[in-house]
Amino acid sequence: MEFFIDLLIIGVSIGMIYALVALGISLIFSGLDIVHFAHGEIYMIGAFVGLTIFQHLNIGYVPTLILAVIITGFIGVLIERLFYRRLTSAGGGYTVAGMGMVIAGFGMSIVLQNLAYLIWGPKALPFPVPYGMPLEIGNLSLPMSYVWIVIAALVFMGVLHLVMRKTMIGLAMRAVAHNKDIAYLSGVNVPLMISTIFGIACALGAAAGVLVGPINYVQVLMGIGILVKAFAAAVVGGFGSLPGAVLGGLLVGVVESLGAGYISGTYKDIYAFVLLIFVLMVKPTGILGVEAKVKA
Amino acid sequence: MLDIKDLVGGYGNVQILNGASLKVMPGQIVALLGGNGTGKSTLLKATSGLIRPWGGSITFDGGRIEGLRPDAIVRRGLVQVTQGKEAFPAMTVEENLRLGAYTVGSRAKTAQALERVYTYFPILKEKRTQLSGTLSGGQLQMVCIGRGLMSSPKMIMLDEPSAALAPQVVMDIFRTIYRITQDGMTVLMVEQNVRMALLLAEYGYVIKDGIIHIEGPAADLIHDDNVRLSYLGGTVANREASL
Repeated sequence: MEFFIDLLIIGVSIGMIYALVALGISLIFSGLDIVHFAHGEIYMIGAFVGLTIFQHLNIGYVPTLILAVIITGFIGVLIERLFYRRLTSAGGGYTVAGMGMVIAGFGMSIVLQNLAYLIWGPKALPFPVPYGMPLEIGNLSLPMSYVWIVIAALVFMGVLHLVMRKTMIGLAMRAVAHNKDIAYLSGVNVPLMISTIFGIACALGAAAGVLVGPINYVQVLMGIGILVKAFAAAVVGGFGSLPGAVLGGLLVGVVESLGAGYISGTYKDIYAFVLLIFVLMVKPTGILGVEAKVKA
Repeated sequence: MLDIKDLVGGYGNVQILNGASLKVMPGQIVALLGGNGTGKSTLLKATSGLIRPWGGSITFDGGRIEGLRPDAIVRRGLVQVTQGKEAFPAMTVEENLRLGAYTVGSRAKTAQALERVYTYFPILKEKRTQLSGTLSGGQLQMVCIGRGLMSSPKMIMLDEPSAALAPQVVMDIFRTIYRITQDGMTVLMVEQNVRMALLLAEYGYVIKDGIIHIEGPAADLIHDDNVRLSYLGGTVANREASL
């Protein structure tokens, strides 16, 4: 039973990481109509930015996390403005330009990997955060790094939820995601809102990167694996649905962790996809997914 | 208030507008009539900025607006309500309306605008917490017109407000549009329901092949043989009988 709870805790915290990245992928899909294949690299850049801040500014872990999230968010806005804008303004996901966008995403991921390689080098770097003693609850001892991941991820998700539901910006972002023409005619500055959506998505990716740093190493190729898992999470939950991304992330994390614990750790990376195939067989739109967005 | 001169435009490389010109005076209701595919909606979209005009000029309230982004045109006080009752189904009625006040930027003014919209469409106040995806066609049209009014524009352009609605609902919508103009709003209205549009409007334009074909005071157009023949389904012979 304790073994099960241990696995569950690890699964939930890794699931939170997947959920944060999946949230970004879903946000970008709903707002820009594109699948962003360089999102794993945004996560990696975010982790490196966080590590650099942590090593050089000495401002503690929480300020590091917040600063890295903000900086990577702006890097995302820059990437969208400079490179993706031309492709998405030509029509996005449902057009020939959308295909170009997929290729541009792969290209961007290679560019960012090499950029990171030039700046931070090929070595896997440790992200040593002094967390202190594990949290003891009864017989359980929870490593603080996992507790932190869950708390911080919940805070980010909570803030995102409040912004989306309670503010005019959130209302405008939801409008842009559903119908850009009507958003425009309501007076929303649609290009600015698209940059904002992209920036927030990148910020969430960076949060995941900085949170995972202390339990993993920070390295150039860390984005590849997470992209595939987060993508699976987003599809399991329902592509484009934000609550779905969170649910999908948690499911993938827990299934992976339980699979690794009870079946075999060798096949750790397979369980997410077994889950994906199973969910798609039962409900092709994903668990919380609705029918595909219909374009006017 | 709105002065469109020699407007040329279209989609991709298909030219639809071939030099259309029309004028709307402050406080006027103007009807823009025409068959399918003659360029009515294209003209509205070019005016509201959803498509970029290829040529010609659009002057609104003393300033040139052709080629501006739609949100900039909304800020100047010109709002378009599109065809097809396009609301955001996953938002509540009130969220839909509030979105229309995006450019307002003041809570007090937004609340004021909301109250005014609710006096025009009391049913929307009852349904304000309901998702707009659950509304009937008429209520959805009210949400769309209401959203257009939320920024307190100087002029509103309505694209077929009566399309696909039951006759009783059409009467309600037209009555409210009349009330809105009585309160000082300028309206340019595209309509398929030619008779109703001409009864409501003061002035009318008939567009054909992307160019204004006939224009005149609405009372004259309703008696115009060409308009009657083409759009009112009557013949010259049964003119007396039909009126």
